[in-house]
Amino acid sequence: MPTLQDLQTHFMDYLLDESSVIIDDIESTPMLSAKGRLDIYATAYKLRLKEAITTDYDKLASYLGDDQFDLLMERYIEKYPSHTTNLRYFSINLPELVRDEAPFNQLAELFELACIERAFADSFDAKDLQFATLDDLAALPEKAWGSLQFIFQKSVQILWLQYNSFPVWKALAEENEPPKIEQTASMAWILWRRSDLVSHYRVLSTAEIAILSLAMKGETFAVICEKLLDFFSEEQTPMKAISFLQSWVAEEMLVGFKY
Amino acid sequence: MTRPFLGFGLGLRTDHYQHVIDNKPQVDWFEIISENYMIPGGKPLANLDKIREDYPMVMHGVSMSIGSTDPLNTAYLQKLKQLIDRIEPHWISDHLCWTTVNHINSHDLLPLPYNEATIDHIADRIKQVQDIIGQQMLIENLSSYVTYNNSEMAEWEFVNEIAKRADCYILLDINNIFVSANNHHFEPQHYVNGIDSDRVMQFHLAGHSYNGEMIIDTHDHDVCDPVWDLYEYALGRFGAVSTMIERDDNIPPFSELHQELAIAEKIANRVLTTEQLEISGNKILVGAA
Repeated sequence: MPTLQDLQTHFMDYLLDESSVIIDDIESTPMLSAKGRLDIYATAYKLRLKEAITTDYDKLASYLGDDQFDLLMERYIEKYPSHTTNLRYFSINLPELVRDEAPFNQLAELFELACIERAFADSFDAKDLQFATLDDLAALPEKAWGSLQFIFQKSVQILWLQYNSFPVWKALAEENEPPKIEQTASMAWILWRRSDLVSHYRVLSTAEIAILSLAMKGETFAVICEKLLDFFSEEQTPMKAISFLQSWVAEEMLVGFKY
Repeated sequence: MTRPFLGFGLGLRTDHYQHVIDNKPQVDWFEIISENYMIPGGKPLANLDKIREDYPMVMHGVSMSIGSTDPLNTAYLQKLKQLIDRIEPHWISDHLCWTTVNHINSHDLLPLPYNEATIDHIADRIKQVQDIIGQQMLIENLSSYVTYNNSEMAEWEFVNEIAKRADCYILLDINNIFVSANNHHFEPQHYVNGIDSDRVMQFHLAGHSYNGEMIIDTHDHDVCDPVWDLYEYALGRFGAVSTMIERDDNIPPFSELHQELAIAEKIANRVLTTEQLEISGNKILVGAA
């Protein structure tokens, strides 16, 4: 008699590759064979996972078309069996598969589109934290500024894109014909969720991404000001630094300060 | 046992958030899918909190994998406990099934062999879960498409014995009884008659689909007449039981589900007395069965 663990292992083997000794442990009936019965589960297994992937990457699905996206999903399901209890996180490695495997890695914009979709999903349900306000900023004591560090909210994500992938994503989201894909200068985009619970995004200037990267790594306001000297004069830098900082607070990217 | 009776509820679904928040429809309670809210934050939890202000809730999970031979997933149970503390549901439930083995998740509700060894295994695990979450839970009967050669008893005997040994309650899915009765050739009324009435705390109703001669538990159609008949039969046997309709696919406007729920209420009014149908939903499961 098989143990419960044997039964479950063999059943799962059947779901994963449809060949297993589990058939010997399942009752056949005149209505339907053991294989026919197990196939109901095997079919449902793939359908459920494909539905989850399609929900998370529906713009990529539109862009690729049904056949190619189905091939991608089949490949993903085979390579990444689920280790999560929550289907929400099942497809989290899809961009890496797109980046690494042919034929998907032959179109670089596919990886970017997948990253954009994953970033939106991660932003959508990132942890809720109280936003820092301009009043909080104004209330910082004089002594704070020497060692001031910034705490960003969990939904903030930076995406470096080499193609016009965001306009393509936006057109797909609005169910419009996407623009022709074009390589661009490397640009940094920020994506984050505001208090309206909606995810926002915008492109970052060269100066802003330079200091934002430092700030997100925990560097101090002093280090940020020093970095800004690469872009602005000594006279301009203090005002520019405060201006960037105020915009991060006003746009609800920050949850607090450390000093 | 005096069973708490919440009345007639619906499954809370994303498509209906705004309608429920804006219109506060007359529904006695909502059942939520626990895993949909076991996330760090964002709009789903914000909507849940808003709706919870106006409605009693119960939590229904799909990933506890209580029948698995993998160790209990303590990280999952901790998150579940956090959600329980946040929502303060009247009770929580999950399925009498396994979903995960060797740490691979099928994301499906897979059936178990009905035998003594499985009963021992699961009853012990339910007790552990109840210790962690600090309250008794409900286990739900499945729809299934296979039976195992090493099963030794009827499904309802298996369900009863686990509920008794684990000292937990039963969420009786009327549609699942109908589906499994068709797929495994037994009389659904026989199943209802076999279930220990004292353990039944909630009913599920749902629609299904035909795949040849097999019935698949798809939750994408209205409740069909034979399931309504079985519901009426179950009310006659068990009395007032908190009842809800599950709809997970092909989701219609809220008003349509609301009308379908009115059918459940109408049937209950036909079978039961006004006294039996008095809402007593202020009881939260914490005590002994």
